[in-house]
Amino acid sequence: MKTDIKKQLSDDIKSGRNTKLIFTGLLLMVVIFLILDIFLGSVSIKASEVIKAIFNNADSNFETIILKFRLPKAITALTVGVALSLSGLQMQTVFRNPMAGPYVLGISSGASLGVAFVILGFSSNITPDSINSLGNWILVAASWIGAGSVMLLIMFISSRVKDIMTILILGIMLSSGISAIVIIMQYFSNETMLKAYVIWTMGSLGNLTASQIHVLLISVSAGVILSLFSSKMLNALLLGENYARSIGLNVRFARIVIFICTSILAGSVTAFCGPIGFIGIAVPHIVRILFKTSDHKVLIPGTILMGGTIMLVSDIISQLPGTESVLPVNAVTSLIGIPVVIWVILRNRKYSGQF
Amino acid sequence: MKMNSKEILSLDSLKIGYVSGKYENVLLPPLTASANSGELIAVIGRNGIGKSTLLRTLTGLQLPLGGEVFYSGKNIRDYSRMELAQKVGYISTEIVKVTNMRVYDLVALGRFPHTNWIGKIEMNDHEVILDALRKTSMESFSRKFVSELSDGERQKTMIARILAQDTGIMIMDEPTAFLDIAGKYEILHLMQMLSNNSDKTIIFSTHDLQMAISQSDKIWLILDNTLIEGAPEDLMIAGAFDHLFNSSTVLFNSEDGTFSFRSDTKGSIYIEGAGKRKHWTEKAINRAGFTVSKEKTYPYIIIPSDSNNFWRLSGQSSIQEFSSIYELISCLSKEVIRSI
Repeated sequence: MKTDIKKQLSDDIKSGRNTKLIFTGLLLMVVIFLILDIFLGSVSIKASEVIKAIFNNADSNFETIILKFRLPKAITALTVGVALSLSGLQMQTVFRNPMAGPYVLGISSGASLGVAFVILGFSSNITPDSINSLGNWILVAASWIGAGSVMLLIMFISSRVKDIMTILILGIMLSSGISAIVIIMQYFSNETMLKAYVIWTMGSLGNLTASQIHVLLISVSAGVILSLFSSKMLNALLLGENYARSIGLNVRFARIVIFICTSILAGSVTAFCGPIGFIGIAVPHIVRILFKTSDHKVLIPGTILMGGTIMLVSDIISQLPGTESVLPVNAVTSLIGIPVVIWVILRNRKYSGQF
Repeated sequence: MKMNSKEILSLDSLKIGYVSGKYENVLLPPLTASANSGELIAVIGRNGIGKSTLLRTLTGLQLPLGGEVFYSGKNIRDYSRMELAQKVGYISTEIVKVTNMRVYDLVALGRFPHTNWIGKIEMNDHEVILDALRKTSMESFSRKFVSELSDGERQKTMIARILAQDTGIMIMDEPTAFLDIAGKYEILHLMQMLSNNSDKTIIFSTHDLQMAISQSDKIWLILDNTLIEGAPEDLMIAGAFDHLFNSSTVLFNSEDGTFSFRSDTKGSIYIEGAGKRKHWTEKAINRAGFTVSKEKTYPYIIIPSDSNNFWRLSGQSSIQEFSSIYELISCLSKEVIRSI
């Protein structure tokens, strides 16, 4: 018995050390890939030139590429990765569904419907490039509302239907329904609006203006702060609604906080970068495997770092360093995320739907 | 010994049930009952009568449709969620299945109403959690994943979680339902210890009447038209349990709290002998549908003794010998007794 407790104590210390070690590793990865993302691109620029460009005394061409293009894009990638992964983590816990994520449940589609209303519906001379700061906030707010509406609908349904697969199928149906509405809207809109919208749907990290990045950063920061506040509530929700209430959680309040948080996170990203798939669903699972814990005090920071890392890597891959061509980032994230999702599906047959 | 036991919970004309749309579906007539601190109380009633609903209402998971619940004299409606969570803990029949959650983490969630906004486990929380694990003898499991536990271990972990929650009252909905017999008694023993040594009031529902009668301090017996409360023995004497089984096939014996199937008796048999063999031969005879006769008439059975290794069944005209009760009963069941 004594040795058991001793062993257990040393296990505790070890696992605490492991957690710190993994966090340090992840932080390093974020920094490394952030730097690599700036250094690598279609135009090869020498490392020394990059450093010169950042410290403001270099060839003006390189300076433009680095400061106006690569740096903002890297920051956008990092932000997008953090936001999507966090919203995925929260959805998985709040719906108690390992397959939940902004993309699969149709939350991103909802956001894109909001965007479609703004771009196709209201103004004929708005393009993503020409929207001013106020316009950006309108765009992002429309996106939040769209994301929030779908989220509400899914919450309503999942309070009645407990089956995970049913909810997934409903998510797919919702996405398809929304696409249908958007197609009808496209049909009735003029050429410039249509072009603006189509460019937006392609999903890109590199087309954001400075003021858009500004709006994105503010919104995502708000979401991240809110999510840190939600970690205790998320831990309680792991036990299911009844137990959560019996240990003192105000479930309705928790739902509202998490609902606002996910809508902001997923909505903001979708507003400026288009629907980006499978990051939100895959990253939380990778983090769970890595840390072997269900504690959101660990999972949330872990997901922030891992989400940022994976999105930066996706961005680097999508640029195909050294070549002229660039892949859509959506394709890269899907190829990274889908194997994880398949693995989770196969593993979950054993756990009859829980995670 | 329990000293100074005082009333910690009282139900006053409590109406329980569900609201669906405009309609109130009241399950039972108004219930009145009470619980003192440190009592182990079994809630008994037939399936679907509303035991779970009652327990959920007491935990504050659903609102009373009428009447009042008082915890330490304060109405449950005046408690906030957090305050109530420090007063009463709950275990339902719902099984917690979360992968990657360790026993320690699950028990630590019991500290929810006591920790700060982010749920940080401070040193004193840690002490309480370790104490809860110690009391449930789950210390050595603390690093194990909840998904790897057996049913009994999981239930003990859930009990440790309520202990960590540090509530005076524990409400458990069929805590022994899915356990084997050894597991059942282990959990019940634990519950008894907690009520005796830690002064916890434990209210649990069960279908195991014999266990409830032999172990609990008080029984809340829910019948279709009323709730009867009292020590199990008081209820036995009053014949209260008879109302539980208005079935024509089950017979409740209020002498020893056992059940038997009501069946038409096929006749009576006298048994000669003593001790353990006699006791079990009687049981077997009963099972086969015969009663035990008090006078020595034909047929009778002489059970094995030192000089004789066989069960000897003596009829008026014949004597048969059997080497086991099994053989004896097979023969009795086949033959009509009068023909022996």
